[in-house]
Amino acid sequence: MIDNLVFLAPAIAACVILAGILSYFGNHILTRGIIFIDIAIAQIAALGTMTGLLFGFAEESISVQFISYGFTIVVISLFAVLKSKKMAISQEAIIGIIYCVALGLALLLAERISGGSNYITKTITGNILWVTWKQVIFALVLVIAVGLVHVIFSKKFIEISENIRDKKGAENKRILELLFYVTFGFVIVKAVFIQGIFLVFILLIAPAAIVRLFTSNWRQRFIWSWVIGILGSIIGIYISYEYNVSNGPAIVCLLSTFVFLAAFAKAFKKILDRKSTSKFVQNIKE
Amino acid sequence: MTILEFMLAPLMACLLLILINVYFGIHVLKREIIFIDIALAQIAAFGATIAVVIEHVMHEGHGHEHSEDSWLAYVLALSFITVSSLVFSFLKNKKISIPLEAIIGISYAFATTAAVIILDKAAGGDVHIHDMLVGSILWVSWAQVIKLFVIVAFVGGIHFIFRKKFIQLSDSYQNKENKMNNSFLWDFLFYLTFGVVIIEAVNISGILTVFAFLILPAAFSSMFSKSWTTRIIIGFILGSVVSAFGLYFSWNMDVPVAPLIIIVLGIFLILGAIYKRLISFKKS
Repeated sequence: MIDNLVFLAPAIAACVILAGILSYFGNHILTRGIIFIDIAIAQIAALGTMTGLLFGFAEESISVQFISYGFTIVVISLFAVLKSKKMAISQEAIIGIIYCVALGLALLLAERISGGSNYITKTITGNILWVTWKQVIFALVLVIAVGLVHVIFSKKFIEISENIRDKKGAENKRILELLFYVTFGFVIVKAVFIQGIFLVFILLIAPAAIVRLFTSNWRQRFIWSWVIGILGSIIGIYISYEYNVSNGPAIVCLLSTFVFLAAFAKAFKKILDRKSTSKFVQNIKE
Repeated sequence: MTILEFMLAPLMACLLLILINVYFGIHVLKREIIFIDIALAQIAAFGATIAVVIEHVMHEGHGHEHSEDSWLAYVLALSFITVSSLVFSFLKNKKISIPLEAIIGISYAFATTAAVIILDKAAGGDVHIHDMLVGSILWVSWAQVIKLFVIVAFVGGIHFIFRKKFIQLSDSYQNKENKMNNSFLWDFLFYLTFGVVIIEAVNISGILTVFAFLILPAAFSSMFSKSWTTRIIIGFILGSVVSAFGLYFSWNMDVPVAPLIIIVLGIFLILGAIYKRLISFKKS
């Protein structure tokens, strides 16, 4: 048991740290309705990595990481700044377009790099069991830095997210928007590198979605999504270890099942309530 | 002459795919459920994966066969699509306070990772993520084109007959007080017919091309018109010209066709947006 704990400790630590920041961001992402943004960011980062490889840098070198972050920051800043009233399509549609074109470009580059198609599918699963303490500490530092920025500006960020559909005065908020998306971009690139796209996606969306079903109070949303995200990760790792399934997919399936259960519970409860109230009303009338 | 012979089937497939996808694309943009096709494709693939595992267990020792075309795979894919259509229509509900796109995304993540787990456990086949992503429209057969034509005609026919219902539903999708009768039923029919098209389309050209045909021409047309008919025509012309161009250059320069089409469509989109901006600057 102790041996298992020592072996699983870095993975659990990484999951707890990342689940903390991701489920926080998830509340904003959900309210803004830009669900697939992390997949688009991950794709841009992968495109950056492949471009770096094309220039002949080694895979894990600083240069490649620099290009990868550079690509991400440029694209996400454009996304944050170029929002305007005249947009005929939603932000989520723009995310879809960015994802699609980035993936297309990556596929073209893959032809030019030996074993290039591996880089396209590489980010899909990820494996948290191979995470090292060094990566965990790096992630912790990043999360604390980003967390501080968000604590300072928390009220402003919440205000922007809540009024995202109301396009008046979008021009005045550009710097805050930039800050929001750039910090988000850094977190996502780091998290996807450790956990893979799907785990990051589900830690982002699932806890926030479950909580949003039951409350719209931001403080409660943050607290409960932390609880759900962190607990879900730990239980998922335990299940994956006990039943010998891959850890990422185990957490994803666990948390997404919770979302469906919660959503159906909510929908059915309302239907039952309505029936019982209408019966109640009928009884009163009689 | 050879190039025309070789390219005729892929070109026909492209035209059919664009026609139906531009129409669905406008719906999808209005409903803000952009990633629905990737999710449905993955859900269908999850069904097909289970079929592979079942067949593997039943024919132990027959070695690994490609059973993507088996009837069991199709039946399971279709029933998974049906179930998820029911779920999506049911959870589009005033009481559910999260966007439907979130539910769709979660289904996508679930379907993909559950397939990974099952394949891991059953040790029957490899994950065809990459194949499914790209596909190759160049190798489409006439039999596939005819099948696609039948499906497009059938689904297109349903949507043409009931166009008022479907359009009304998508136009009023974002406002909460949707007073339409039987909206659940029409929603379900919408997802189901869309799913039937997606299964066939992804088989022929891969998820990425289908996604591109769905979103890019419809987004381009949204900048120039609000009328459904005009948007379908603009999107169809753009899509056809670009895919003819893409097929020709992919043949001539030996580059994969899907990325080529996507990137050219992307360039058109950017040019369109810049043009739009310039016009609005002139006006003001």
